[in-house]
Amino acid sequence: MDESRPIFLQIAEQIEGDIISGVLAEETQVPSTNEFAAFFRINPATAGKGVNLLVDEGILYKKRGIGMFVAEGARARLVAKRRDQFTSQYVRPLLEEAAKLGISSAQVADLIRKEEAE
Amino acid sequence: MSAVATRSHNRVLSVVKLHFTNPWTTITFPWIVMLTIIALTVLVWMLVLANIPDPADRAGAREGFGYSGSSGFIFVYMIVVAVQSINTMFPFAQGYGVTRRNFALGTAAYFVILSVFYSVGLTILSIIEDATGGWGVGGSLFSVAYFGETPAQRLFVFFAILILFFFAGSAIAAVYVRWKGIGITTFFIAFGFLLVGAGALATLVEGWDEIGAWFAAAGLLGSFAWSFVISALAAIGGYAVLRRATPKN
Amino acid sequence: MTAVVEVSGLTRTFGSLAAVNDATFRVEQNQIYGLLGRNGAGKTTLMQLLTGQQFASAGSIRVFGENPVENAAVLQSTCFIKESQKYPDDFQPRHVFKSAAWFFPNWDADFAAQLAIEFRVPLKRKMKKLSRGQVSAVGVIVGLASRAPLTFFDEPYLGLDAVARQLFYDRLLEDFAEHPRSIILSTHLIDEVSNLLEHVLVIDEGRIIIDAPADDLRGSATNVVGSATAVDAFVGSRPVLHRDGIGGLASVTIGALTPTERAAARTAGLELSPVSLQQLIIRTTTEKETEQSA
Repeated sequence: MDESRPIFLQIAEQIEGDIISGVLAEETQVPSTNEFAAFFRINPATAGKGVNLLVDEGILYKKRGIGMFVAEGARARLVAKRRDQFTSQYVRPLLEEAAKLGISSAQVADLIRKEEAE
Repeated sequence: MSAVATRSHNRVLSVVKLHFTNPWTTITFPWIVMLTIIALTVLVWMLVLANIPDPADRAGAREGFGYSGSSGFIFVYMIVVAVQSINTMFPFAQGYGVTRRNFALGTAAYFVILSVFYSVGLTILSIIEDATGGWGVGGSLFSVAYFGETPAQRLFVFFAILILFFFAGSAIAAVYVRWKGIGITTFFIAFGFLLVGAGALATLVEGWDEIGAWFAAAGLLGSFAWSFVISALAAIGGYAVLRRATPKN
Repeated sequence: MTAVVEVSGLTRTFGSLAAVNDATFRVEQNQIYGLLGRNGAGKTTLMQLLTGQQFASAGSIRVFGENPVENAAVLQSTCFIKESQKYPDDFQPRHVFKSAAWFFPNWDADFAAQLAIEFRVPLKRKMKKLSRGQVSAVGVIVGLASRAPLTFFDEPYLGLDAVARQLFYDRLLEDFAEHPRSIILSTHLIDEVSNLLEHVLVIDEGRIIIDAPADDLRGSATNVVGSATAVDAFVGSRPVLHRDGIGGLASVTIGALTPTERAAARTAGLELSPVSLQQLIIRTTTEKETEQSA
């Protein structure tokens, strides 16, 4: 758990990550709020907030009397969202760090190609 | 919003039960000690008699046995019980969310129950003592004039003494719980002054004879009946002190 | 939301010292509150006031809508577990659990028995012969098994080792999830409990200085580290919570930063690091400047 950001956001991101990686498949049930709370050792209300955030975004939905499920198309939507953020979250910091170290963007591209080849 | 729980409990009864949770200290242990004291005292008497070969001298020795004060053990021990019930049980009960009022009522009931229990027990022992002619050796632990002539009188006297010791002891303990060391010191100094002052006054007006006459007129039972007044005052005073007692960390 | 506790202008003075000074706050139902602060800040006095064990010098207290002082109906729905609880002579843990049932209407004896096994508390040994950890465990077990609608834990786990403390936190969370109740936890081991808390009350020298949801506090402060000149230039006129420095290096704690501001800081060669709840509270309760010159 990161100290600097609200926990419920981190819970939501954790679940999103599991959906993207396929651990939580679409139309399968996700653990209950209490189970999340116990597993991450956090307050159930906080866990609930994170889950509700995903419900609001349409990533999860509630089957009355049973529990929370991953919505159809959730993975695709999350991947699209992450792609939008890819540039600001990964590319820009990469280029800034490279600039600090005096590595040109052409050299960065070379490094990427070399890494991929291995 | 009401959070009063669904089960209703008689809180005063719970306090009484709380005092009796561990009966070892208040019932089992004192009886064991007392019976041991009786046994040992009688044993000593028997040994003394056995060492006197001449029967005529034995009779004289028996008369000398008179009264052994070891029966006072129970009374003194009950003071300790009274003090502990306030000193330790009160903070513990507060932790259980018991109001001071319910604690006072429950503890008073507890004292009365113990007093009945022990006064009945002591009376029975005194009856046995009479029946066995002083435990077979002419000694007396419980059947002394000071305690009364008949079992009924003794029952009354034992009860009065126990009640007095319980409520006076607990009142003093309440002073300690509320004001700690300073409180106790102040209390005893003040009490000492009161006693000395009263005694000096009595001497000044040469009232000792009258005091003696008053006790004689009241008789044994009358004098002990007045002790209930003191016990009642101690009970009320103790509660008044406890009402504003707060935890001292 | 219903408030189980409402306090207004509450003050408790001892002579010239105000142990609790003009406190005003609410405790909402079925949430875990942290009552945080340094030793001697007033945590214990405040909890004693809320349970009628202490008397207020001024102000009002409402617990379940009523004044808790000498109020049996209110008090039987509360449970106050404190660290240095003294038990009657010759009491054993089984006596404690047996008698607790008479005073807590929701007492769960099976839960207590199970916890006694988990915390390794011997039921038939005298309390005065138990180790400090075991005595603390008894208190913690009573608090958990009481299922009192309003339960106070006043640092009762100081005697517990790290493993036992984690067990306590786990059982607390578990039971709270299954049987919600209002819980107030006072501690100065803030980092350990920070994830359990939903709401935070910080008391310093008798005054409530922070009263906020835990999630709001998280991320509400940032550490900015770098050369003193660059840091000062970036911080500008922002309010500073704390300043540390050695030689030409400075570390300053300020409020939350927007992503744009964060980017600007990075460009200026500054490092940003998060501020934990414990650090935040430490820095708000002690104003100290430590500047050491090389």
